[in-house]
Amino acid sequence: MEKPIIKLENVWKTYKLGKVDLNAIKGIDLEVFPGSFVTIMGASGSGKSTLLNIIGCLDTPTKGKVFLKNKDISMLSENQLSQLRGKTIGFIFQEFNLLPNLNALENVMLPMVFQGVPLEERKKRAKQLLISMHLGERIFHQPAELSGGERQRVAAARAFANNPELVIADEPTGNLDSTTGKKIMEVLTNFHKERGKTIIVVTHDPNIASYTEEIINIKDGEIIANHKQADKVLWNKQ
Amino acid sequence: MEQTIEQTKEYFYIALRNIRTRRLRSSLTVLGIVIGVFLIISLLSLSEGLKTTINQQLQAMGGEMVIVMPGGEEDILTSMMFGGAKLEKQDIEAIKKAKGVDKVLGYSYTGTIARYKDESKQIAMCGYDPWKEGLDILSIFQGWSLAEGRWPSKQNQILIGQYIANEIFSKKIKAGSEMVIKGKKFEVAGILNSLGSRQDDSMVYMDMKIYQDLTGEKRGTAAYAIVKLEQGADENAVKTEIEASLEKTRKRRAGTDVADFSVITSEKMGELVGTILGIIQIVIIGFASIAILVGGIGITNSMFTSVRERTKEIGIMKAIGAKNSAILSIFLIEAGIVGIFGGVGGLLLGSILAKAIDYYSQINPTFYFTTTISPWMIIFALIFSFSIGCLAGFFPARAAAKLKPVEALRRYE
Ligand SMILES: Nc1ncnc2c1ncn2[C@@H]1O[C@H](COP(=O)(O)OP(=O)(O)OP(=O)(O)O)[C@@H](O)[C@H]1O
Ligand SMILES: [Mg+2]
Repeated sequence: MEKPIIKLENVWKTYKLGKVDLNAIKGIDLEVFPGSFVTIMGASGSGKSTLLNIIGCLDTPTKGKVFLKNKDISMLSENQLSQLRGKTIGFIFQEFNLLPNLNALENVMLPMVFQGVPLEERKKRAKQLLISMHLGERIFHQPAELSGGERQRVAAARAFANNPELVIADEPTGNLDSTTGKKIMEVLTNFHKERGKTIIVVTHDPNIASYTEEIINIKDGEIIANHKQADKVLWNKQ
Repeated sequence: MEQTIEQTKEYFYIALRNIRTRRLRSSLTVLGIVIGVFLIISLLSLSEGLKTTINQQLQAMGGEMVIVMPGGEEDILTSMMFGGAKLEKQDIEAIKKAKGVDKVLGYSYTGTIARYKDESKQIAMCGYDPWKEGLDILSIFQGWSLAEGRWPSKQNQILIGQYIANEIFSKKIKAGSEMVIKGKKFEVAGILNSLGSRQDDSMVYMDMKIYQDLTGEKRGTAAYAIVKLEQGADENAVKTEIEASLEKTRKRRAGTDVADFSVITSEKMGELVGTILGIIQIVIIGFASIAILVGGIGITNSMFTSVRERTKEIGIMKAIGAKNSAILSIFLIEAGIVGIFGGVGGLLLGSILAKAIDYYSQINPTFYFTTTISPWMIIFALIFSFSIGCLAGFFPARAAAKLKPVEALRRYE
């Protein structure tokens, strides 16, 4: 069988709140395979963001191991990890998180700067991405001059900039109305379908989840159901 | 750090953007450095100017000459610039008696107003005693020569320097024309060729008697004495002789307030000037360093604020693949640019002040001062201010680079 792009082994995340230990993630085992489209669902405070940050190598587990492309990330230096993360993973956040001082094009170009992509190439790719998101007219706009939906599409273009194998999105539609949210999901689906890339999305919205092929349900820091979309009917009946 | 030039360029650009969005705060930070560099530049250019001025004077004085002036050796510079006690008649006699002394030339000068045609200007006038013989000595040993006209031979005749003749008055002065000083008419007998220093070229030269009539100073006194040595006499030996001789007259006049005297050989003069200027420069650099330090702390403070304000941006950049070194570079460059802006600003202000002083001294020949801004001063100021910026920005930048991506992202704005 294919090697997982990301693999979690008995991962715990504990926050120390004064004297109390809060286990946000409790011994999660997880494998995500290349080319899959996964949704993580669960109630607020169940640990979705915490889990996603660990999957995205933005955070390190308190206990357990994380393998990104078969590399134990705890063995990598901070710089190596940044480099690998920048190349392999694209991020889309709920609150867009564009750099306010840079225009749309520059925002999309930035991840490529960190990977040392030459200027011409960088510009070309960023422009193409923005045009494919129907943002051709907005290339030189500052984030403040864009609508929420447009910002999120710029953010998506940025996430795709280095043509990453994995795109991670934490409630990407959380700040958008259902129509614009749908557009973002289409953008993600296209990226997945056309390029065969792996996508992991955190969402509350069952409609959004319906785009995906696999749903991981999490409650109180534990996976309670991990089912393929084949079980969808069952899921919907619950 | 295998960071490419292109990446550095990009970080530079991002840093510039950051500065631009914080325009007001950045410019306030820049101001701190501006003041520091301004202080350094203006003070250094002034002391460089002082050095040039004094060196020109020294050169004009030439070798084989010794100068006797009132005041201790410690305050030569002050008495040179502001005048002070005078040499009395007995003192000059005493100098003449010393072994190895050939001729003694009394010398006084002061600022005054002179009128030429309908124009009155501030100039400096200077008297020599003895006048006729003095002119011989000056032309033989100091290389005085006429550009125009004759050497003065009558009581009401004077000599003027090049600068007075050509620059100070709007109409050029020709030999033979009339000039009014302190209400008395004089004939400009001759115009001297340049004497090598602007100060000397901005003078009106006359018989000490006339000078003293005009100023009301006592006959036989002088501000300085220029001593011409006998052929082959040793500067330092004559110096000792003069000192001994002066000491004797001083003892005889004990009880009256006899000032100290300094006998200065040209060699000694050079040394003294060097030491005094050295001290002045150290003091200046000390003050300026404090100013710069304060400016640097300003940068550090502003950069820490900047890092705090942009924690989230740092988190984003790290999430999308920025290495620590990239973040460090961006913030260091930002601090460096703030520093350089400060350097350029200080340089500009300092140059303006220097030019203003030059200009003022041009229209006021008695206030003689040139300022010098050398290329190395400019380079020094720029490199220095950039380094100060980077240094001041280092800790904030490192703090930024060390932020953990999740924590930085989670931070509330
Ligand atoms: N930095 C932190 N320090 C302390 N506790 C934290 C921290 N981050 C998260 N937690 C706690 O961990 C638990 C899981 O948080 P997490 O953000 O992963 O939830 P979530 O499932 O993403 O919720 P939501 O749907 O509201 O975004 C919560 O109880 C939260 O309070
Ligand atoms: Mg969350």
